[in-house]
Amino acid sequence: MKPFDIVIVGGGGAGLYAAMEAMKTNPALNIAVLSKVYPNRSHTSAAQGGANAALGNKAKDDTIEMHIFDTIKGSDYLADQDAVEVLCSEAPKIIRELENIGTPWSRLDDNTIAQRPFGGAGRPRCCYCADKTGHTILQTLYEQCLRKGVLFFNEYFALNLSVNGSRSRGLIAMNMKTGKVEAFPAKTVIFATGGYAKMYWNRSSNAAGNSGDGQAIAFRAGIPMKDMEFVQFHPTGLRKSGLLVTEGARGEGGYLINKDGERFMARYAKEKMELGPRDLVSRSIETEILEGRGFNSPAGKYIHLDLRHLGADLIKSRLPQIREMSLNFEGVDPIEEPIPVRPTAHYSMGGIDTDNFGRTVMDGVYAAGECACVSVHGANRLGGNSLLDILVFGRIVGHTAAEEAGKFSPATISEAELKESVDELRNRMQPSGHYERYGALREELGQTLALNVGIFRESSLLHKGIQDIAELKERFKKVRVFDSSDVFNTNLMQVLELQNMLELAETVAVGALAREESRGSHTRIDFPVRDDEKWHKHTLATLVDGKVLPGEKPVTMGRYELQERTY
Amino acid sequence: MTETIDQHQEGKRDVTFRVFRFNPQVDSKPYFDDYTISAERGITVLRSLNYIKEHVDATLSFRAFCQAGICGSCGMRVNGISKLACTSQVWEELDKCREPGIIKVEPLRSLPMIKDLIVDMDPLVDKMKHYSNWIDSTMPLAEMGKKEFLVSEEEFHRYDKATDCILCASCVSECSILRANKEYVSPAVLLKSYRMNVDSRDSIHDVRLAELVKDHGVWDCTHCYRCQESCVKSIPIMEAIHAIREDALECRGPKDTSGAKHAEAFMEDIEKKGKLVEATLPIRTNGMVWTLRNLLPMAVKMIVKRRTPPPPPLVKSAKGIKIFRVMFREMTEHVKQDHQKTHKK
Repeated sequence: MKPFDIVIVGGGGAGLYAAMEAMKTNPALNIAVLSKVYPNRSHTSAAQGGANAALGNKAKDDTIEMHIFDTIKGSDYLADQDAVEVLCSEAPKIIRELENIGTPWSRLDDNTIAQRPFGGAGRPRCCYCADKTGHTILQTLYEQCLRKGVLFFNEYFALNLSVNGSRSRGLIAMNMKTGKVEAFPAKTVIFATGGYAKMYWNRSSNAAGNSGDGQAIAFRAGIPMKDMEFVQFHPTGLRKSGLLVTEGARGEGGYLINKDGERFMARYAKEKMELGPRDLVSRSIETEILEGRGFNSPAGKYIHLDLRHLGADLIKSRLPQIREMSLNFEGVDPIEEPIPVRPTAHYSMGGIDTDNFGRTVMDGVYAAGECACVSVHGANRLGGNSLLDILVFGRIVGHTAAEEAGKFSPATISEAELKESVDELRNRMQPSGHYERYGALREELGQTLALNVGIFRESSLLHKGIQDIAELKERFKKVRVFDSSDVFNTNLMQVLELQNMLELAETVAVGALAREESRGSHTRIDFPVRDDEKWHKHTLATLVDGKVLPGEKPVTMGRYELQERTY
Repeated sequence: MTETIDQHQEGKRDVTFRVFRFNPQVDSKPYFDDYTISAERGITVLRSLNYIKEHVDATLSFRAFCQAGICGSCGMRVNGISKLACTSQVWEELDKCREPGIIKVEPLRSLPMIKDLIVDMDPLVDKMKHYSNWIDSTMPLAEMGKKEFLVSEEEFHRYDKATDCILCASCVSECSILRANKEYVSPAVLLKSYRMNVDSRDSIHDVRLAELVKDHGVWDCTHCYRCQESCVKSIPIMEAIHAIREDALECRGPKDTSGAKHAEAFMEDIEKKGKLVEATLPIRTNGMVWTLRNLLPMAVKMIVKRRTPPPPPLVKSAKGIKIFRVMFREMTEHVKQDHQKTHKK
C-alpha cells in the first residue's frame, strides 16, 4: 500500500475532526481514517447532554475564565491547568464552527445556540441539540468528511503499531470484510479510539466496542498510560445491561428506594437528596447494596428508581426516552413499576499520555479524545466536557500531525513484520490447546473490576482484583476462537478486544492500588481523604518487559491554587 | 419475611430463533439455523443473539455496538420486519411469530450480503455522497468559527425530526422500489437530502435538487409508506419525500422531468375528467419517441389481448364532475396557501 502521511485510528468525533483539520492544514497530504465500525456508529453518538462553551448566549455574564475554574475544580485539581485553558478558550470557536458547517443546535428565543445548566457548572453553558447532541455532531462531522472526500477504511480492526526504535512506521490492521491483515505505513498515526470503560462489561454504559483498542496498542508499543485508575461511575445504570438512565429522571423528581422502602439518600445528602453530585449518589447506592439493603436478582443486586408518584402524564411527556429504555431493556414500565438500577462505569478519564498538542512520547504517534489523557478532566470529568474534549483536541491533533508529518521520512512496513502479525492471528485461531470461552472471561473481568476496582476501593480488594486479572490473562492464552472463517470474523474480533481490555485492566488496578488517597472518582476506603502532599500528581503505567512499570508526572498548575472541593 | 425481595418475578419462556446463515467462503446458498433458548421478560433480540454467540454458536455473525438504539448497527429483519435488534423485545416478538414460538431473524434486504446477518452498507454511503448529503455552508472559510448563524427555533423544527435518523437502513430494507431498482436513491438518502435542502445555512440546494429529480431520484417513489412505517425513530419520511417533490415543482416547474410531467398530467386529468386518461399518460410523461420505443411492444400485446385503455375521446367525465371541480380548485388553492406559509425560504 502507498505510504500515508497520516493514519487516524477511530472515526468518532475526535478522529473525524482530526481528519478534517489535517486536510485543511495541508490538502496535499495522503490521509486515511480507519474505523472498526462505520464512522457514524461511533460512540460519540451516545452523548446526549451537550458540549460546554462560554458563548454567553444564555447567561450573558458567563466567561471562559469561569469555565476554566469549574473544570479545574471538577477535576479535583488533578487536571493540567494549561490544558484546561486550551480546552475552554477554544470552546466557543469550535462550537460556532460546528454550527457553521451544519450541526442542528437547539435555539434560544434570540435565534442563537441554546444552552442549559449542567452539573458542576456555574453558568448555563452546555450547548445542546435536544437529547441527541453527540449524534448530531457525529453526523455533521461524517457528512463533512464525505464532502471533503476523506479516505475511509471502514470495518478495519487495528492490531499493532509498527515500531522502529523510538519511532512509529505505521499501523497493522485487519480488514474485517476479508480477514486480510494489511499494512498502513505512515509517517504519523493518530489514535482516537474512545474510552476503555467497557472492561466493566455488564456494569458499563459503554458500547460493546469501547475496549480501549488504541490505548492497548500504544501500551504494547511502550507508550505510557496516564491516570488509568480514574473511571467515572454514573449512579443510575439499568440492572441488566448497565445502560444509562439519564439524570433527567432524578431531575424531574424520581426517588431512589432501597428494599426496606426507604428514600435512603436522606442518609447521605439530606438537602440535595437524589440530586447530589454523581460520585456521591453512586457511592450512596453502592453503600446501600453493600450493606444488604439492595434487591437481589439473577442479574445482580440493585435498588429502585421510582417514578410512579410523578404520574403517567409527566412520565409520558417529559421522560419518554427513559420510559422507552426501561421498557426495552428491563421490560418494566416506570408508570407501573420502579426501575431497577445500580451504578455503571461510564467514562474513562485516563488514557494515552499526551502533551497539549496530542503528541505522545513516541515520534509520529498522537492521540486525542477519550482515548488520550492530556489531562483536562483530572480525577473527575464534568458533564458537557467530553464532547468538547474530542472536538477541541481532535482538531488540535489533526493540525499538529499535518504540520509535523513533513519532519518524518516516508515509512515502510516490511513483509516479514506483516507476516508476524498474520502468524500471531493464526496461532490465536488454532483449536488445539484452546478451550476457554471468551464470553465467560469477559463477564468475569467485568465482575472482578466492579467488585474490587469499582466505586469503593481498598488495598485487599485491589490485590484481589490484580490477582484475578492475572489469572484471567493466563486463561486468556487458552481462549478458543470457534469461527475459523476469514469473512467478518466477529468472534476473532471480540477475542482481540478482550485481550485489549485485559491488558488495560491491569493498569487500572495497579494505578488504583498505588494511589493511596481519595480524589474525584477514585475512592479508597483505607485512604478516605485527598492527600495533596503525596498524591497531587499523575500516575503513569508503562509496559516494560511484559510488566507494568508504575511512574508519575507532575500536575501543571496555573492561576488556581489547591482548594477543598465542595459543592 | 422472605430473604430475597425481587418484585420482578421473572418467568421464562422458551423461544426458538430461526436465524439466516450464509458464509460466502463455504456456503453455496443461505440456510437457516434454529437456536432454542429460554428468555425472561425484558430480554431483547440482540441480547438473545449475544447469548447464542457466547454460549451456543460463536460463528453466528451480526453487527452490534451501542446496544441502546442510537448507533444503528444492528438493523435486521425480525419476524419479517426490518428493525433494530437491540430495541426489540423477545416477548413482544413471540406474539408476532408466524409459527408459534419461532422468531425468524434475517439480514436487511436490498443491500449486498456479507455474512449471516451482516450486509454491506457501502451502497448507502455512496448514495449519500452522490446526492450531496451535507451542508455546503454559505459561511466563507475565513469567517468560520467567528460568529453564529441566527436560526429560528421554527427553522430548527423543520429539520429536527429528520436529524433523528441513525442510518440503520431499516427503511432501505423495507422500500418496495429499491427491491426492484438498486439504483434508486432510497428513503434514508431522500430524508437526509430534504434535511439539507431546508437548512438556511446551505448553499447547494439547487445542485442537490437537480440531482434528485433525475432518473432513480425522488419521482420514483410510489408512496407505499413502508419506509415511514418501519422507521425505528418514527420519522415521517414520506413528508420529507413529498416536500422535495413540491419543492421541485415550485423551483423547477412542472415540465422539468418525466416525474414532474407525470404528476402534472395526473392533475390535469383529475381536474378535467375526475379520472385518468391512461392511453396518453405515457406520452405526456415521457414524450412520443420514448413511448414508441419502449411501450410499442406492450401496446401490441394489449391490443391482441383486448386490454387497451379507451382512447381519450371515449373517457367520459366522472359522475358529479362539476361539484368535484369546485372542490378540487378550492383544495389546490388551500394547498398553495399552506405551501406559501410553511415553505417560504
